[in-house]
Amino acid sequence: MMRTVHGSIAGALGLALVAWGPGAQAQVVKSEAPALAALAKDGKLPAVAARVGDEPEVVTPLKSVGKYGGQLRYGLRGSSDHNNILRMVGPQGLVRWDLGYTKVIPNVARSFEVSPDAKVFTFRLRKGMKWSDGTPFTADDVLFNMNDIVIAGALAPLGPRYMAGGKPVVVEKVDETTVKFTFADSYGDFLAELASPLGQNPVLYAKHYCSQFLPKYNAKIDDLVKEAKVPDWKGLFQQKCGDLEIPSRWGNPARPTLDPWIVKEPYAGGATRVVLDRNPYFWQVDTAGNQLPYIDQLVSPIAQDVESLILDAIGGKIDFQLRHLDSPANRPVLAQNRDKGGYEFWTANAPGGVNMVINLNLTHKNPDLRELFNKKDFRVALSIGMDRKEIIETALLGQGKPWQQGPWDDHPNFHKQVSTQYLDYDAAKAAQLLDSVGLNQKGADGMRMWKGKPLKFKIDVIPTLQPEQVDMLQLIKRQWAKLGVDMDVNALERTFFYERTSNSNDHDAAVWGGQGSWVPGDIPQQIVPVHHDSRWGIPWVNWYKSGGKQGDEPPASVKERMKLYDQARATADQDKRKALIAKVADIAAAEFEVMGVATSAPTFGIRKKALRNAPDVMTNSWYWPTPGPSLLQQYYWAN
Amino acid sequence: MLFAYILKRLIWSIPFLFAVSLVAFALISAPPGDYVATFAATLAQSGDVVDQARLEALRERFGLDQSFLVQYWRWITGVLRGDFGISFEWQQPVADLIWERMGLSVALAAATLLFTWAIAFPIGIYSAVRKYSFGDYVISAIGFIGLSIPNFLLGLVLMYVSVVHFGHDASGLFSEQYQQAPWTWDKVVDLLKHLWVPVIILGTSSTASLIRIMRANLLDELHKPYVTTARAKGLSEMALLVKYPVRLALNPFVSTIGWAFPQLVSGSVIISYVLSLPTAGPLLLQALLAQDMYLAGAFILLLCCLSVVGMLISDILLAVIDPRIRYR
Repeated sequence: MMRTVHGSIAGALGLALVAWGPGAQAQVVKSEAPALAALAKDGKLPAVAARVGDEPEVVTPLKSVGKYGGQLRYGLRGSSDHNNILRMVGPQGLVRWDLGYTKVIPNVARSFEVSPDAKVFTFRLRKGMKWSDGTPFTADDVLFNMNDIVIAGALAPLGPRYMAGGKPVVVEKVDETTVKFTFADSYGDFLAELASPLGQNPVLYAKHYCSQFLPKYNAKIDDLVKEAKVPDWKGLFQQKCGDLEIPSRWGNPARPTLDPWIVKEPYAGGATRVVLDRNPYFWQVDTAGNQLPYIDQLVSPIAQDVESLILDAIGGKIDFQLRHLDSPANRPVLAQNRDKGGYEFWTANAPGGVNMVINLNLTHKNPDLRELFNKKDFRVALSIGMDRKEIIETALLGQGKPWQQGPWDDHPNFHKQVSTQYLDYDAAKAAQLLDSVGLNQKGADGMRMWKGKPLKFKIDVIPTLQPEQVDMLQLIKRQWAKLGVDMDVNALERTFFYERTSNSNDHDAAVWGGQGSWVPGDIPQQIVPVHHDSRWGIPWVNWYKSGGKQGDEPPASVKERMKLYDQARATADQDKRKALIAKVADIAAAEFEVMGVATSAPTFGIRKKALRNAPDVMTNSWYWPTPGPSLLQQYYWAN
Repeated sequence: MLFAYILKRLIWSIPFLFAVSLVAFALISAPPGDYVATFAATLAQSGDVVDQARLEALRERFGLDQSFLVQYWRWITGVLRGDFGISFEWQQPVADLIWERMGLSVALAAATLLFTWAIAFPIGIYSAVRKYSFGDYVISAIGFIGLSIPNFLLGLVLMYVSVVHFGHDASGLFSEQYQQAPWTWDKVVDLLKHLWVPVIILGTSSTASLIRIMRANLLDELHKPYVTTARAKGLSEMALLVKYPVRLALNPFVSTIGWAFPQLVSGSVIISYVLSLPTAGPLLLQALLAQDMYLAGAFILLLCCLSVVGMLISDILLAVIDPRIRYR
């Protein structure tokens, strides 16, 4: 049912796309927020037409053209919640994902052009566009960001996002409003990488402001460093200009941005609330010529714990929220008080996949367990030895259907075998398979023996991440025990979990969320081990990432998939890319390395009933940083 | 005499503080991982992803890839120069962050202490003098309930009731319009309007225990011969009570002043967390959870200094109110 809703949104978007194309820029800006109009009248601000520039983006509101005013209140937590702000404001990169998470469209760039070999990407910027302090935004800003910061490795080493064929991208200025990115090799996924919240680098920093914190541009940088009492200029730079996802990005009201709202009361240690005001120079207008955003302020009280956030929601002090609230346990109390709080629910769908993938460590340090885990029949036995129906009914409250992993059946990337093989519960067959791999000896307790010793392994899990995972594992433990397989659930504190699994490969097995749909930018870590969340082959991940210098050399089937994955990343043609990913999935299906239980159930957000233009259903993902790409700047209050 | 004693105590506290700072630093870095790993894990909890290369760069910049002793040395030599380092999370000097919040912590702790004493003294005296009376039983019953209810539970219940049934918000220390406003008389009034909630919540259990202590101490004294003597000499009951047994019964209170000092920061952590109070407690907790080493380390060091100073003050006060105690 929810799938069709998903589809219809993509359909609605098709109509909206017409307005996004070039040609729409002839639209005249007609109106602005009353407060800004007053300032402009007094001569304290330039006229709105000058502020939005010659080529503002014309955004088609989701349902209706809105009106100005009001605050949008959402809850922040006191520590490490800076990305919550990022998701509300939206990462304003050169490009962004569309509402349906199907297509990359222009954002800060007015348009883009990709060469047929996917090596050259040309971005046309918007004429007359301004930073939030009124300074023009030009190609020089992009060059500053790319050449002086990213490629120079000023703050972090240059990562694979801006490299292809082993060489860094070359960024050139064609004219004031055109920049060209040239790669040494094909890089089809580049646009998707730019659309992710981690791809905002080319337009993150305003040259005229942030260059003063760079030794190259400021000979007297040492004085500034001393004054700010920070250890070095990098510290100063990050304190003043922030970085993609560190808290200090929202800590300096003086930093010019391209965001719809700019920091007024910063997110700092000890802050009790964070306020963002509208950006008077924001570069988007609606179809009626009103400068966006409609809503004056984003206001977020800082709650230290989730319980007080729930109370804020019940008390009507939260207008819009997904993050922190969306666990199933909070649903009853929020539903019960929805009239009191004046809010309603909206749906946040996983982009696909499952809520828990079991990764046996195929590169286990213990050779005996490694040998066993690498037997496909053993893994198949464990999979068909799980009664998924019981798990879904009990631990998941009936939500979801049996699924191994991967995109759902309504998605173009759906792969039948990877997702649906070995799902049917068959204890007899499982026992027979276990016997056949050499687990035919049983100890006094009825548990199977391996190489003369009782077979016993632990599955690591972080109980606070997705609390239902522990319940699911407890049931699986019982089901496997009936087969004579002795598994223990090993709940770990999250940092310890990372240390034990991704960093030191000390785990027997681990679970992790498997939400995703293998679209560009979304790493398919459960079918090819290329990410530190691929806990079924961490040394292989290290081998891949270091170009063969570290880790262990993977078996041929894994190497083949790594090669295909690299090719897919290089391919611009979406059909060819899909075919390459499908090949990776073919091999993964044949190997059957990881297993899942059930499709990821949708979660929920709340929003005030008077809030307009917010979609009823959104994808819940990091790469489509919910709710950012639904463009909160076009939300408005009905009264 | 007194001066030499204070000097001796102060000199002794220096090696003590060093030892404590080393232990504190070791404890903070004891859990597996470091600030950067915790940072990544926290983001993962909300579904956010961080670039591994960026994490490595952060680790290197913060010097987290170096050995524990090197990190400690860098920190403690900075502290000796008055530089407490920078908070990893907020990219701000630690000193600025801490002082910003200490003012309200002190206000909250002082108000709580005054409230506790103002209630506990008279009630404690009453229930000792009127032992096993109806009033004593009522007070004792309430006292035990106050002792046994965890503060945070009381806080949560109070918040829930006030939001759901009265539509009033019990959290925070200021109304929205005063949160960032400069200090004015109106803001102080607004603070007082909010302050009573945490003060009562924080005060209940300590009031209850103080009442019990006061009652027990006083009961010990009331039957001593000097009380009988004073009474025989015709001293009025009230004057007698306040001048002799109560004064003696105060000793345990005074010796606990020393504990009240570190309580300024750490005593209200959970309550401040639950009620979202802008005091130092939650910042300390966050720093510890996030393994924000320098921030947490500075807090621990501050707590130790406060304990040392507090104990010194209570020792001096003890000597002042009780001439039988002498410096050695």
